[in-house]
Amino acid sequence: MRWKFPWFFKHGAARELWLDSELVVLDLELTGLDPTQHEIVSAAWVIIRRGRIVLAESRYLINRSVKSLAQSPVYHGIDDAQLAKGVDIKVIMREFAEALEGRVLVCHHTALDWAFIKKSFAALGIATRPNQMIDTLKIEKSRLLRQHQQVIQDQLRLPACRERYGLPDYQNHNALSDALATAELLLAQVNHLGSEKHVKLSALV
Amino acid sequence: MTQTGMTVEHQDVLNFVLKQSPFNELPIASAHYFVNHAEVIYLTVHNQADALQDEEKYLYLVRTGIFDLVDTTGEVVTRLSAGDYFGYPSLLTGEEIKNRLEVQSPGLILLLPQAGFDFLRHEYKVFEQHFVRAHKKRLLSSHYQERGKGWSERKISKLMTKSAVVLEPTASIVEAAKVMQSEGVSSVMITEGGQLHGVVTDRDLRNRVLASELDPAMPVSSIMTPEPKFIFENNRVFSALHLMLKHNIHHLPVLNEERVPLGMVTSTDLLRLQNSDPVQLIGQLYKASSAQELKLLAKEIPVLLRSFSNTVEDISFVGTLLSGLTDALMSRLTELFVKQHGDAPCSFCWICFGSQAREEQTLDSDQDNGLIFANDIKPAERAYFASLGTFVTRHLVECGIRACPGNIMASNEQCRGTVREWTARFEKWMTAPTPQAMLNCKIFFDRRFICGDQSLYQSLNSQLGEISQQELFFAAMATDISTNSVPIGLFQQFKLQRGKDKHKYLDLKTRGIAIVNDLVRIYALKSGITKANTQARLKALEAHTQLSQSDIYNLQDCWRFLTQLRLRSQIEQHQLPSNCINPESLSSLERHQLKEAFHLIKQAQQACVFKFARGSL
Repeated sequence: MRWKFPWFFKHGAARELWLDSELVVLDLELTGLDPTQHEIVSAAWVIIRRGRIVLAESRYLINRSVKSLAQSPVYHGIDDAQLAKGVDIKVIMREFAEALEGRVLVCHHTALDWAFIKKSFAALGIATRPNQMIDTLKIEKSRLLRQHQQVIQDQLRLPACRERYGLPDYQNHNALSDALATAELLLAQVNHLGSEKHVKLSALV
Repeated sequence: MTQTGMTVEHQDVLNFVLKQSPFNELPIASAHYFVNHAEVIYLTVHNQADALQDEEKYLYLVRTGIFDLVDTTGEVVTRLSAGDYFGYPSLLTGEEIKNRLEVQSPGLILLLPQAGFDFLRHEYKVFEQHFVRAHKKRLLSSHYQERGKGWSERKISKLMTKSAVVLEPTASIVEAAKVMQSEGVSSVMITEGGQLHGVVTDRDLRNRVLASELDPAMPVSSIMTPEPKFIFENNRVFSALHLMLKHNIHHLPVLNEERVPLGMVTSTDLLRLQNSDPVQLIGQLYKASSAQELKLLAKEIPVLLRSFSNTVEDISFVGTLLSGLTDALMSRLTELFVKQHGDAPCSFCWICFGSQAREEQTLDSDQDNGLIFANDIKPAERAYFASLGTFVTRHLVECGIRACPGNIMASNEQCRGTVREWTARFEKWMTAPTPQAMLNCKIFFDRRFICGDQSLYQSLNSQLGEISQQELFFAAMATDISTNSVPIGLFQQFKLQRGKDKHKYLDLKTRGIAIVNDLVRIYALKSGITKANTQARLKALEAHTQLSQSDIYNLQDCWRFLTQLRLRSQIEQHQLPSNCINPESLSSLERHQLKEAFHLIKQAQQACVFKFARGSL
């Protein structure tokens, strides 16, 4: 059937098979939820290739240049001493831009993370854009809506989503463990859709 | 990739790997390496067909979920859950993976590529051993690998102080005495053409020459003990001790591989060794002049066992030792009875059953014994044996060996009888296999001669050998064995029992060791093996076709592993019922091994039912 479509359709990213795409699963720790006034404290990402998480290519970077942590350490546990061991936000963003090149971005609540990244990219003049964006929270929400009338916000939190797939609890909470947790959740979601050989990215975005 | 930022460490994955064998025994760097080279997949029924189909080979470690490994015939090889590995046979042999996975419950799996596996294999010996053993299905054998050597582990050759003193069989008794005097030894070996034929000890000179007023000019061959027990130079001291205890001998010729005599080891040599209290105690037991004295000596047994169990590597020897001590008590009590009440009216012998016969007695074991006497006994003479039986069993109780709750003791008329009567009893159980008869068979088919006229015991054995082998009997036994199940649940998890005080535990004896004993017994009976000890039976089964060599290895490994755990549990007692353990107190490797042991026992049970009870179930 494929030959019937024009060439640009075949190469459209969303038509791509999930197994053929490379994905970068990102998690950010923030000082707050507003990209206009809050900052990125740390960023971590893991890579999915051929449907597998490649642990060795994971990155975890702390932003040394955070201006004000305020009350946020309550959530992410990163204090000034740890900040001092970090790197400049420019370094983080350049490295992330490199990782994002030609890949699909995955987050648990992508809108939030991408808003922060987009702002930082803009400030640094980085034009890199992901091929596609996948939101594990959205995937879970529509799946739950297909089964139930309504979904409570708590059911969509990362640990709650993971529990439904029998994924283990994480003892440590930081950007890295959440990025890995999100990546594992995505694998579980994809493989509950059917044979992953035939799953297309379009089914996920 | 840029080198800025901090080291990436997936702490939770690392913690998981660190808990698994063999990483829990390796430097932490090995687990770091694993995590940094691993990939993660999530397996469901949808993608199970693609797993294991990769061009590259991997070591798979289950993080969550439950998976069945299924072979080409569709048979489930094993059920895998968190902490289980698969894929290593292919990594080790280079062969293609033929098994496939069936997802029972979806979950995460960690994959380590061949290159990573090879690196860890070359870097860490323990890592390699773990998977080579697992591949050979001999995970259990690590438990008796060579470690530090206690005194009882030393080689006999290190203990021998003097070279062999030998004489030709034609030499006179006087010559023997003179050689013993000039060499300062208490025994000589009689050899012909360099091969050992007999032993003469100073006790023989006293008992067989002086006391019997024999002509000292006679050849030594007339007073020697022909075909004596011996030991090879490479055997361990512990084996020598075992032989001496078992046969109550004090001189043991040492031979080399070509069976040429090298020297003699005596019980005095063993006494010189540190910690050889068992020999000393056994010697004292044989010399005790009253039941009262025996009772005092027997009080030392528990203390002795505890200190002894720390010095031997092969802890199963503790059972042998305790059985040896019980034998010694019974022999001496019999001698004391004879001294008091006069000689027996006819020939007789003592036999033991159950754990004493199998030589796996513990401090908790109860008595199982009986008396055999000659067929020509007169009715009036039976009273003598009634009081002998009562005397010995009562004093054994006083020495700390509990009375048998099932009354299998020589004080019971049902446990005394002529060879003919005993044969009839066995025949009845074997031909009419009621549940009670099956229970009797389990106890009475493990039997061993203790002391007295051994020809009676041998004649009983040959009579029993003539009872036709009833298919029905073996079918009933196999069925009976299969009713006892190993404590492994559907998902390869331990099925724990709960005690009164809410402690969870596993009963290693009744749900592990006893099943192995039962299995080995049925094969031994089928092969006509008269030994009672499970290890000895397995050794003897090698010459028969009932069980394959690998089945024998597996049962041996299971038995030894479970016995070690059991005896350790007795020494370490954590307020659990005796013979029980809490699997949580075990290391990850031991838990693996325990599951593997139960798994092997389950397979052996199924094979046994299939072999003996086909069609009758």
